[in-house]
Amino acid sequence: SPTAPTAPKPLYLCSPFVEAALVVGNFKTIVMQPKHVDVMEWVASNIFDFYQNLNLFYGVLTECCTSQSCPTMSAGSQLNYTWINQDRKSVQLPAPTYIDYVMTWVQNLLDDENVFPTRSGRDFSPNFPSTIKHVYRQLLRVFAHLYHAHYEQILHLRSEPHFNSLFAHFLAFGKEYELLDIKDVKGSPNAPVGIGLLWERWKDMGIITS
Amino acid sequence: GQSSSTPSAPKERGADYVYFERTTAGFSDDAIPRAKAAQLKLEHYYKVAVDAAIERNTRRVELERKLAADTTTSDERKQRQLLQLGKKESSFLRLKRTKLGLDDFRTVKVIGKGAFGEVRVVQKTDTSKIYAMKTLKKEEMLKKDQLAHVRAERDVLAESNSPWVVQLYYSFQDPTYLYLIMEFLPGGDLMTMLIKYDTFSEDVTRFYIAECVLAIEAVHKLGFIHRDIKPDNILIDKEGHIKLSDFGLSTGFHKQHDSSYYTRLLDSANGVQSPTTAARNSVAVNAIHLTMSSKDQIATWKANRRKLAYSTVGTPDYIAPEIFLQKGYGNECDWWSLGAIMFECLVGYPPFCSESTHDTYQKIINWPSYLMFPDDVHLSHEAEDLIRRLITSHDRRLAVEQIKHHPFFYGVSWTAIRNIEAPFVPRLRSITDTSYFPTDELEQVPEEPAGGDSTGANKDLAFLGYTFKRFTISSSGF
Ligand SMILES: Nc1ncnc2c1ncn2[C@@H]1O[C@H](COP(=O)(O)OP(=O)(O)OP(=O)(O)O)[C@@H](O)[C@H]1O
Repeated sequence: SPTAPTAPKPLYLCSPFVEAALVVGNFKTIVMQPKHVDVMEWVASNIFDFYQNLNLFYGVLTECCTSQSCPTMSAGSQLNYTWINQDRKSVQLPAPTYIDYVMTWVQNLLDDENVFPTRSGRDFSPNFPSTIKHVYRQLLRVFAHLYHAHYEQILHLRSEPHFNSLFAHFLAFGKEYELLDIKDVKGSPNAPVGIGLLWERWKDMGIITS
Repeated sequence: GQSSSTPSAPKERGADYVYFERTTAGFSDDAIPRAKAAQLKLEHYYKVAVDAAIERNTRRVELERKLAADTTTSDERKQRQLLQLGKKESSFLRLKRTKLGLDDFRTVKVIGKGAFGEVRVVQKTDTSKIYAMKTLKKEEMLKKDQLAHVRAERDVLAESNSPWVVQLYYSFQDPTYLYLIMEFLPGGDLMTMLIKYDTFSEDVTRFYIAECVLAIEAVHKLGFIHRDIKPDNILIDKEGHIKLSDFGLSTGFHKQHDSSYYTRLLDSANGVQSPTTAARNSVAVNAIHLTMSSKDQIATWKANRRKLAYSTVGTPDYIAPEIFLQKGYGNECDWWSLGAIMFECLVGYPPFCSESTHDTYQKIINWPSYLMFPDDVHLSHEAEDLIRRLITSHDRRLAVEQIKHHPFFYGVSWTAIRNIEAPFVPRLRSITDTSYFPTDELEQVPEEPAGGDSTGANKDLAFLGYTFKRFTISSSGF
């Protein structure tokens, strides 16, 4: 009997791409907080690195992510992220604009001595945990868009093992330090995030632990 | 015959197995190299992350074990030491987020010039600490094919805590230059000292050569061959003891790896002379050799010596013949170089020095006919014997233990030599005193490094992973 027409399975959920990985083994080794080391310092250092590494790959994909190709910040067939503007209104933005806002905002935070102190003797502010949760959620959205809209290009550029590992590391780290909300990863039932299923698959495969 | 272990076996492919036709059509020319660069950077990132995790763990376990074995220290103090370690690890993490650049350093003085850039005494502006900063022009290094070399050797040497190797603390880059921040050795180098004193007594020579033996041995124990040991690379610390300059970074850059150059040399050594060298070879060799002991010839050589040190070609005077012959070589080549340096310390010039580098190569390859001890310089029997056992074919050259037991070193305490008083202790007026460097001969060098302008993106690929920060557990931080 004929089945209902379904959207084809996204490539990032298909074999062999879903298994492609640069880093094999348990992320625990590099996620675990080193004993005696300040947790803020550890998280700050890792967020700094995630930002740099994501930016590196986004830099390669910018030519494919234009306001024509991506008029919205899509992350699932029913999901477009909106940006909250200065008037606290939520607006649709082309993906490259949205991502540029995110990356610029994060870069400014990283450069802000009050948020990410680099001089010795300076402490993290008490707001630091809530700030970095925002950062994490926005970086997650960038990953979600790249998986949803640009995975083919990632495949053409033979970067899927790298990109997968970077994202899996990001998820594992976010989970360990409670920087990720599961509902941000999965989205709502009527507007699921594409990578929500990837999260499930990777959990089943043991790539990230539940 | 189980095929289940072969991931590519078609049977294994599940229902969701997809063939994807990859193509680079539709991407800009830039995209492919940029993607490659991003991949390499990420690979490097994860390698370093794993190593760092292991090293951090080792440091902690070692301290915990040490504290557990220590019965005299109170628990409270032990706890403090662990906290202290945690603080250091934290500040190291912070350091990684700190971007150091040219503007964090102020030039005090230009003190040296090398094949690929200059060496300056600099002061880190926020801490006022003094360092030596070496600049290396990337483009020059790419041209000379020196990269594999730099990358392979850097990390190990950077991690070595050996007192015989100049410490590297930090490195960064801009599009044009690599910058190395290392410890500043205020005593100058052995080349400058030899230019100043002409020759050393046997006692003084014994001291420097013995220290060099230990330094070279330390390098070999790290698994490296220096290949380019020469007086310019033997630096003097504030107590007058020696350290080898950070090779793999700074030295060994020269012609050794330009194989076509050697092929040409080899051909001419075998009589397949190119038209340009034929005329020169036939007459000049002996003539130069005979006049070499005359004082003004040596003066000419010495005057050129520093210029040679500043050129990209470098001086071949200390390089072992087997390196030219390209049939593979082991770490014995460094002992040849030491023999040549010892000869120079006692005689006043290196054994195969000539008016042109080409003639020097010829003499080294035909060393049995050219190794001569001049009549007007008196050497002890032991000194001459040691030199002859170092400047010899690689299979007959002494190994490190034999060298240490050679009668020339009679009385040397190999374990204590770094702690005894050196023959020349630099007299320094301040921590930035540069009087042991020929600073007045460096007039064309700009005071402040120029900083970078843009070059092609693919060039940076070669310097991947160059930015380096040292974790110094003993020092109070960078
Ligand atoms: N850490 C240092 N402290 C003090 N002086 C230094 C230091 N490093 C280098 N110098 C001085 O600068 C000169 C040139 O440095 P070096 O030999 O390392 O560079 P180089 O000439 O580029 O290397 P190479 O030996 O490959 O030619 C040295 O001979 C020495 O006088």
